[in-house]
Order: sequence, then structure tokens, then C-alpha cells
Amino acid sequence: MRFDKFIRPDNLQTALKYLQKDKDAVILGGNTFLRLSERKYTLGIDISNLKLDYIKESKEDIEIGAFTSLRTIETDPIINKYFSELLPESVKHLIGVQFRNNATIGGAIYSRLGFSEINTALLVLDCELEFEDHGRISFNDFISSPKIKRDILTKIIVKKQKGKSTYTMMRNANSDFSILSVAVSNFGYINIAVGNRPALAKLPEKAMKLINSDNSKLDETADLVAEELSFGDDLRAKSSYRKLITSVLVNRALRKVLL
Amino acid sequence: MKLKLSINQQFYNTHIDGDESLLDVLRNLGFKSVKKGCDTGACGVCSILINGEPTLSCQFLAARAEGKKITTVEGLGAKADKIVKAIINEGADQCGYCGPSLVLTIYAMKKELKDPTVDKIKHFLAGNLCRCSGYEGQLRGIKKYMGVK
Ligand SMILES: Cc1cc2nc3c(=O)[nH]c(=O)nc-3n(C[C@H](O)[C@H](O)[C@H](O)COP(=O)(O)OP(=O)(O)OC[C@H]3O[C@@H](n4cnc5c(N)ncnc54)[C@H](O)[C@@H]3O)c2cc1C
Repeated sequence: MRFDKFIRPDNLQTALKYLQKDKDAVILGGNTFLRLSERKYTLGIDISNLKLDYIKESKEDIEIGAFTSLRTIETDPIINKYFSELLPESVKHLIGVQFRNNATIGGAIYSRLGFSEINTALLVLDCELEFEDHGRISFNDFISSPKIKRDILTKIIVKKQKGKSTYTMMRNANSDFSILSVAVSNFGYINIAVGNRPALAKLPEKAMKLINSDNSKLDETADLVAEELSFGDDLRAKSSYRKLITSVLVNRALRKVLL
Repeated sequence: MKLKLSINQQFYNTHIDGDESLLDVLRNLGFKSVKKGCDTGACGVCSILINGEPTLSCQFLAARAEGKKITTVEGLGAKADKIVKAIINEGADQCGYCGPSLVLTIYAMKKELKDPTVDKIKHFLAGNLCRCSGYEGQLRGIKKYMGVK
């Protein structure tokens, strides 16, 4: 990726104005994914001065600034207090510490990558996104339809809930993309998300209905998830293999939150 | 654009393109210990410390580095010697290409890990690839340096 001009606004309104004025302007997150693109932009808008790097706890929620690094997600005591088996687990195998110090949660969410593991994990939480122009949208709505364009993600709001949540994945080698990712939460209602299929993470609605109607139907639910979702081939795994792995990983994850 | 960088506790004034990586700028300034490997964020040989945190300089925009404290292995001086010795004593230095980034990451790890274990060490260093040592010798030396059995 190349750009002609670099600016570092110190407030969100200015950053948004530049972004919306010029269709060839781009928001610079941690620049980990962006820099691999061949595209040339006119303007790079640096958001590192917008004070979007924070994690705050209120009575009901945890707010995560969009410029928070994935390394902070991994190590932060508030995140670890509520979702240690879920959010830190979903980022800790991503390349190495020095990569995760650059990559931001906002960049991971906004790019809606089919191999993004934190997006699988966020899908099983009660989670909203706040955009500077569009305002609030549920994480699920954002992931399932790309209707927000040329906007700045400012924060991620996660409801604090009592219960268990877990994340698991399979990758062929350390630091490679994972070939499947599974997140499950049980906060009274059980949510299951499967990502890296290799497509964006999805909730298998029928399987979730089954397990929520009868908590003992673990094996049937795990098999149903594999039947319900679609899988694809890539150089890392075939769809048939991903399907087999799905029931195994979902089964393990369900046991962690139910037994 | 004009840029003033603080590298190893000295200031450097330079001119850069807005989209230049810190890796390229550091190498142009003569910090050749910072290696260019994959240039995609996967290998770790361009690691430096930014405000003490290990960071891939290939991804980090130089324009963003103003006001930050940059440390390359040259800046560690004698503090690097102990780490290098621990690795050399195990015969694990080999070609040396990944050495500077590994030394910096180990230095940051020692500061950060209060209660180091082999698993924590392996996790912290997962982003530092080495294509010749096979890691075992490195790990022996690093365990000794970290005081882990
Ligand atoms: C080599 C490599 C290996 C990887 N391996 C994995 C892996 O194993 N697992 C995994 O889950 N992911 C993996 N990833 C993806 C990684 O998680 C993303 O690259 C990273 O999270 C993107 O964050 P960033 O801050 O660097 O975004 P950038 O690269 O800066 O930006 C990505 C996109 O988001 C936009 N953007 C960024 N921030 C905002 C914002 N606040 N508001 C609006 N738009 C914004 C940018 O304009 C751009 O379009 C890998 C990526 C690379 C390059």
C-alpha cells in the first residue's frame, strides 16, 4: 500500500471529514494488513492521536477503544477478568508479540477478514460497535452486512455477563492462519460461532436452538453445526476436513461451558 | 516530510515519505542491525523496541514514530552482551541474521515476565523465526539467561 500524503488529526471530526471528502483516503490502523495491499491512496489518515487506545470498565459494560492493540486485549486485566478463555485466547497465537503490538482491534473488525479469529470470539458476546458517523450497530449486524462505508470505528462495547465463554481453533503450524475457529458462550443462553471456514464467522441458528432447548444434546448439536454451516477449500484445508474438525471443536467447547 | 526521531537516546533529523516504514528509515540512517526479512509482518527480524515494547518495524510507519523512544540492538550496548553470550555458549548463534531482533525481544521479555516459565518464554518469542538454529540451543541459552530450569 502506498499513499501520497500523511495526516495525523487530533480529533475525530477532522479525521472523518478528510475520510469522507476524498474517496482515495484511507484510515491507518496498525497498518498490518493494509500495508500488504497493492492499492495506492491519496491520503493516509493516522488515528493514533485520537485517544482510541483504552479499555474501560463501567457498571454494565467494557469499552474498548478501536485503536487498542491485540497485545493489550491479550494481557489487559479487565478483559482477563471477564473473558480470559475467550478474547485473549483468540489473539494470542497471532504471529508474535511484536505483531500484536501493532495490530489493532479496530483494524481486525473493520476489515471483516474471513480468517479473523477475534471476530469469531466477539460474535458470541453481547457486543456493539460505535462508528463516528453511523453511531451504534450490533457486532453481528456489522459482520453480516457490509453497509457501513467510509466511517471510523471508535469503540467496541461489550456487555459484562455472568457465565462461561471459551475459544478454540486449529492451525497447521504456529503463526499460520487457523483453518477453523470456534467460540462458545453460556450466559444463560448458549451462543456458538464458527469462523475461518474460510469465511466470516457465523452463528449456526438451528444448532443453537437445539442446545438451548436441551443442554444434554452436546453431540447432536456439534454434528448439527457441521451440517448447518458451509465450508470452503483453500491451500490450508479442504471443506470436508473443516467440516469434520467443526464437530470436534464445537463439542469440546460446549463441554467447557456446560460441564 | 521532516521527521525528528529519538533512536537509542539520540535525536536524528531526517526527511521521509509519509508512507515509509520505520524499517526502511532506520536502515537508511545506518541501523543495519534492523534486518529486512519477509517484509510482510511474519518473520520478526525487523523487531525493534518502541517505548520498550517489541514492535515490527516493517509495519510501523516512520511518520508515527516521532515522539517515541526507539531502541535498536546498538542501543542496548553492554546489556545485549549477557544475552548474546548466553546464546553463543550454547552454540546457537549460527548465521546471526535473526540475532539482533531476538536479543531485543529477549531483553523486553526479561523486563515483562515476572514469573518466567518455558511455556511463557516460547509464547513470547513465537514471533522470532530462526531458520538455522532449530531453536533448541537458543532455548537452552535463553532459559539460563532467564533463570528458568
Ligand atoms: C501476516 C499476517 C498474519 C495474520 N494472521 C492472523 C491470524 O493468524 N489470525 C487472525 O485472526 N488474524 C490474522 N491476521 C489479520 C490481523 O488480525 C489483521 O491484520 C489486523 O488485526 C488488522 O489490524 P490493523 O490495526 O493492522 O489494521 P490495518 O491494516 O491498519 O487496517 C485494516 C483495514 O481496516 C481499516 N481500519 C483500521 N482501523 C479502523 C478504524 N478504527 N475505523 C475504520 N477503519 C479502520 C483500514 O482502513 C483498513 O481498511 C494476519 C495478518 C497478517 C498481515
